[in-house]
Amino acid sequence: MEKPIVEEKRVFMTGNEVVAWGAIAAQADIMYGYPITPQNEIMHYWTRLAPKYQKKFLQTEDELSAGFATIGGVIAGKKAFSATAGPGNTLFQEPVSMAEMMRIPMVVVIQQRGGPSTATVIYSQQEVNMTTYGGNGEGMRIVYSTASHQELFDCMIKAFNNAWKYRFPTFVLGDGYQAKMREPLVMYDPQDRGIELIEPEIIIGKEGVPGRDRDPVFLRNAYSMEEELYDVLMPTIEEYDRIAPEITEYHSFSCEDADLIIVAHGIVSRAAVAAVEDLRKEGVKVGVFRPVTLRPFPEEALREVAGITPNFLVVESSNGQMARLFKEALFGMEVKMDTIFKPGVGITSEEIVQQVKNIADSGIKTTIK
Amino acid sequence: MDKLVRIAIAGEGGQGVQSIADILAEAGNEEGKEALYIPNFGIEQRGGVSLAYVQIGDKLIGSPKFEEGDVVVALSERAVKRIISYVGSNTIFVYDNSLIVIPEVTEEIENMPSYQAMDTNKEKELFREKINNSIHIQKTAATVTGVPATDLAKRELHPRVFNVIVLGAVIEAAKIVSEESVKRAMENNLGRKFEKDPALRELNHKALHKGIEIIRKALVRS
Repeated sequence: MEKPIVEEKRVFMTGNEVVAWGAIAAQADIMYGYPITPQNEIMHYWTRLAPKYQKKFLQTEDELSAGFATIGGVIAGKKAFSATAGPGNTLFQEPVSMAEMMRIPMVVVIQQRGGPSTATVIYSQQEVNMTTYGGNGEGMRIVYSTASHQELFDCMIKAFNNAWKYRFPTFVLGDGYQAKMREPLVMYDPQDRGIELIEPEIIIGKEGVPGRDRDPVFLRNAYSMEEELYDVLMPTIEEYDRIAPEITEYHSFSCEDADLIIVAHGIVSRAAVAAVEDLRKEGVKVGVFRPVTLRPFPEEALREVAGITPNFLVVESSNGQMARLFKEALFGMEVKMDTIFKPGVGITSEEIVQQVKNIADSGIKTTIK
Repeated sequence: MDKLVRIAIAGEGGQGVQSIADILAEAGNEEGKEALYIPNFGIEQRGGVSLAYVQIGDKLIGSPKFEEGDVVVALSERAVKRIISYVGSNTIFVYDNSLIVIPEVTEEIENMPSYQAMDTNKEKELFREKINNSIHIQKTAATVTGVPATDLAKRELHPRVFNVIVLGAVIEAAKIVSEESVKRAMENNLGRKFEKDPALRELNHKALHKGIEIIRKALVRS
């Protein structure tokens, strides 16, 4: 079979195309999906690449089915994934809860669109609550919030690896802008860069007779006793907390001497970085703290930068969904939080620059008073 | 000094707005620059005004959308209305003057014969808005340049390369990618069609150059 990515090469493509290529690079076997904008082209590109690289695809009747079918693929020992958005993500919460309970390493790509409900097909950061803590569970998932096409590609590889290594459902959380925009990135074969790809394994239907040649596999998502559930859940929660530091990722930019730190994730963090570059030229000491993983959230790193300055500006295209994670991470510390919350709407660097100046002005006023 | 050029293009669906934005961004990529292209998708996909945003620069681009364009292009009357908010004091405003009239009016709208000749209030309201928009653009933009792309394409080349004339105008106004890189990007997108019909390649190259020349002359004058 032809090697999909022979040598590192710079390409210029849409985010949806990057996701399909990222899944190929991660050696995914099968995608299950149901169409919803703005992620449709992930399916289109995957189905175009699939026959060439002996991959498979199944379109299901809805997102519930797509989610459970993905679990089925994983149980059969395949690197299986799906992609969805908005109301599709809502339906996915049921299968993802099951994956949490049964420790199924499913990978799901979310291209956030406006909400609530059908809302817009365009863009938002309003699926943070749902993707990090949705479903009836304890949020035992891994969630990468990407900011560029390079990261989309990198995170697809990381998502499959960490899902199969730690056995928690894993999300790559993009948005409609990332889905539809074109920008350059470098595609590579992870193995050529020395990245070891974790091999999948058959979960049900292993060789040998259960009870004689090997332990039986007993996947459960239903328990009759409270204590029985508790005994299963607590070790899982403890394990999640134990591995969290190995997974957690963040970027901090110009925070070392900052008087104000902007907190933003995903594509909005790029506007924040551009704003900081402009403001620094004018001598305003600002920095950016960007969680790359929203689950687990980089709590320790954030608490550390809160030691540099207690002044924060939280910026996001939702009405404070990431801010909730931010506040929880800083529980017990005294900080000041200004915000730019624009649910379902993009945020430009100009807006952030203006808001920082407003804060600086009001700060000066307070000092004079 | 890091360079960054921001371009907003608006026109009617089917005018080829997205194709030229795409080729433009790809030309930036061909030069090894950072380039970001995003269409205004959503409901607009189904007819109506089509908008495209392109940014080309030395460093990773910030947010996909922006507030003020260095080059802002309008290819229809309705498009002027949609794109006017992107016109700022540094903007080179380019429009197709075979399709759009941007009058430089200073006198009272009510005194204008064409306004007085109008029958309905609705008509008068639209006219007022049009005039006010064009006055705003004239007052705000650094340069306002008309390109008779539609007429030129019809008369001298072929109607289908109308948008490539506009593309030429944009690259000359933006001064961030070379004519050669645009040709390479065109080759990536249209190479197969060009192979079948080499005359088509030549037609596109001519149209591109035409657009460049018009703006070059216009910007020297202004």
